[in-house]
Amino acid sequence: MAFLEMRGVDKRYGGVVALDDASLSAERGEVHGLLGANGSGKSTLNKILTGVVAPDRASIEVDGADTRIDRPQDAHHRGISAVFQELSLVPDLSVTANIVLAFESTRLGFVQRRRDRERAAALLERFAPAFHGNTLPLQAPVGSLSPGEQQIVEIAKAIAREPDILVLDEATASLYSAQVEVVSAVVRELRAAGALVLFTSHRLGEIYDLCDRATVLRNGAVAGAVELAETTEAELVELMVGSVTAPAQEVVEGRGAASLEAARDVPRLEVEGLTTDRLQDISCRVAAGEVLGLGGLAGQGQSALLNALFGAVRIRGGSVTIDGQPALPRRPKQAVDHGIALVPGNRGREGLFPVRPILENLTVPSMRGRARFGVLSDAAERAAAVRAGEQLQIKYGSLDDGVMTLSGGNQQKVVVGKWLLTDPRVVLLDDPTKGIDVRAKAELYEVITALTEQGVAVLLNSSDDDELLALSHRVLVFFEGRVVSELSGNELTRDRLVADSLQVAAT
Amino acid sequence: MKTPTLPPTTTLLRDARTWLLQGRLPITTAIALLLATLFANLVVADNFLTAFNIRSIFANVIPLAAVAVGQTVIVLGRGIDLSIGVIATLSSVVTVSVVEPWGLPAALLAGLATGAACGLVNGLLVAIVRLQPIVATFATSFVWAGLALYVLPPGTAAAPRMPDVIVLGYRDTLLGIPNAAWLLLLIGLSWLVLKRTRLLRHVYAVGGDEQAAFATGVRVARVQVLTYVIGGAYAAIGSFAMLANSGSADALAGGGLTLASIAALVIGGTRLSGGAGGAGGTIIGVLVLQLLTSLLVALRPPTDVRQLIDGLLVILALALAGLWSGRRRGR
Repeated sequence: MAFLEMRGVDKRYGGVVALDDASLSAERGEVHGLLGANGSGKSTLNKILTGVVAPDRASIEVDGADTRIDRPQDAHHRGISAVFQELSLVPDLSVTANIVLAFESTRLGFVQRRRDRERAAALLERFAPAFHGNTLPLQAPVGSLSPGEQQIVEIAKAIAREPDILVLDEATASLYSAQVEVVSAVVRELRAAGALVLFTSHRLGEIYDLCDRATVLRNGAVAGAVELAETTEAELVELMVGSVTAPAQEVVEGRGAASLEAARDVPRLEVEGLTTDRLQDISCRVAAGEVLGLGGLAGQGQSALLNALFGAVRIRGGSVTIDGQPALPRRPKQAVDHGIALVPGNRGREGLFPVRPILENLTVPSMRGRARFGVLSDAAERAAAVRAGEQLQIKYGSLDDGVMTLSGGNQQKVVVGKWLLTDPRVVLLDDPTKGIDVRAKAELYEVITALTEQGVAVLLNSSDDDELLALSHRVLVFFEGRVVSELSGNELTRDRLVADSLQVAAT
Repeated sequence: MKTPTLPPTTTLLRDARTWLLQGRLPITTAIALLLATLFANLVVADNFLTAFNIRSIFANVIPLAAVAVGQTVIVLGRGIDLSIGVIATLSSVVTVSVVEPWGLPAALLAGLATGAACGLVNGLLVAIVRLQPIVATFATSFVWAGLALYVLPPGTAAAPRMPDVIVLGYRDTLLGIPNAAWLLLLIGLSWLVLKRTRLLRHVYAVGGDEQAAFATGVRVARVQVLTYVIGGAYAAIGSFAMLANSGSADALAGGGLTLASIAALVIGGTRLSGGAGGAGGTIIGVLVLQLLTSLLVALRPPTDVRQLIDGLLVILALALAGLWSGRRRGR
């Protein structure tokens, strides 16, 4: 019986299976890697262990005792603490106050500030080499620190709880190499002291450097548990991808590669050396009627590129042209004027007006073109909405129904439809099928085909690798804000995509 | 695996950012405002420096100071209490009604319990029933007002009064300093003590980032309920000062304290969305408001424009704070 045993873990989000009978078994005094491609369920498994996500079914045993983990507090009580990429720090509080939050040294209810400062200082002492030998300013508010420094504070905060099990989920992603080495040294100390560290990173080098064993997840189930010393990178990728690759869904028939080849000489969208806080030197060309896929592990810059092209983040350098005209947007309004439309991944918050009827949701972005002296004609609005509805085959009862009465897939069509009415030249799709069911997905694929037939250039970010490969003519693979490879033709395979995502030489 | 190398840290930039984030600028502005209003009073009002005037300024400022410190604790935890002035009213009528039969100490305890109980109800409605703080406390303010009218109907023939020792002592001096000024000092000290508790640390955490506080293991709902209880208790202390100042209670007074308490904490640099600021600034804000009022009195405007000007002052204070936080968000 291992120290930590998770068995039969199931989790669904709506119709989407995130985990299906997953399991994990790890010992004290071990750094255990958790690996998997996009959508394999590794983050969900980590979040279930730490009480952030409630599983549909799970049996968790820690040190031989059945353990229920319903809330973060339960995990804290069981000696489980975690560092995720999204931080859990309070920006206004000082470094010390954040590290000891909810574990303050107190006497009669009063915080013993000096003791807390000493505790924090002792902890951060171990991280001093990460900052040229300086310790972090203990009194400074955490919000004044750089992202890397905040990440170190978050790690120190997790260690301050003296956990038996420490979950590090992409905890090193925003760190510099010198800082990663320091964190690695601390992790090794914890291992020597008998703790169990669960480690997830998109950098395979760190996995090999730190971990003894690893569990590989694929499609929400365990693909294998391996000794890393006896496993090559290529074998790991094979486990993540699976030997029988699901036959690529040929949704887009006859990609018309030949005509695209010709059209590419005059690209619809051309991006040169685009650089932002999160992107380095991105260049690409997209022809009219082409679907350019943005791949790689989640959060490596795919969404950042779409947001930059939509004018939602500050652009530091580079150029964007549409049909040969300069079109570098400073604000979303300018992007819309240039004929760019964005379908965001979080449609509930960014793509829809949830309490308004379907009609308004469809017509708002294009209203200005139809208004006369600022007055809208009800008939013209309805005609426009009906046109979009027919084009995308949106299934609705009445245009006056609230938009939230629609199914998820039809809601997503409304988001696409409202931009169709503006006659866009470039459509940016940011993980459009996240959390919608299979049939709605198929319908959305038809919408993408319809867009390309109209000569729209489509940029598609998807966390579903199969979908990305099936829909895209070419795929750019992102790693830490850069494009590391471009796949086209017979390179569009899952093996290549996953291998390039992890920067492993192709098998 | 290629990862970027570590750039050198720039301490000067960090110091500047630290200064801004710690909210030193708002408190500096508040102190400047205090000095400006003080100076204006010295110029305009020839009787400003008389012992009588200084005593009455302190006597008038205590009720608002106590209520505003209570409101500050609530706002720091991302709440707001629109009933806090009426809680003070209810507490004052309860205290004065029982002072005759029960004696002074028991009456003060009854008033304190009343304030804390009202705060508990507000806190439960906000943190457990999860009503919007503005709506919930606006509604309860009518309940407290109704209760106050029930306990002490206006126009009662023999309205109960506070013992003379309280009323006279409130206007007296100790070591040449008005007793009311000593009280203000005590209220400030109580904040310094409170601020060092684990509870207040958690209040700042909840106000700063509720999700992060929850994920770290802070008991968010419990912390929020307690801020309202503390706020109610401070309102009760304010009500004792009201009683000492006027000798009796009025079931219709006290409502204006709510808006003034919010104005004071905003002038004092507490962020309305919680997590930053403190009662030290609030006390400065209270003094600024009081000095503005005495300036108005000195200028002798027709009485019918007094309320108008009071209202405009509050809007001005809120607008300044709004501009300030807007700029922060735009960074």
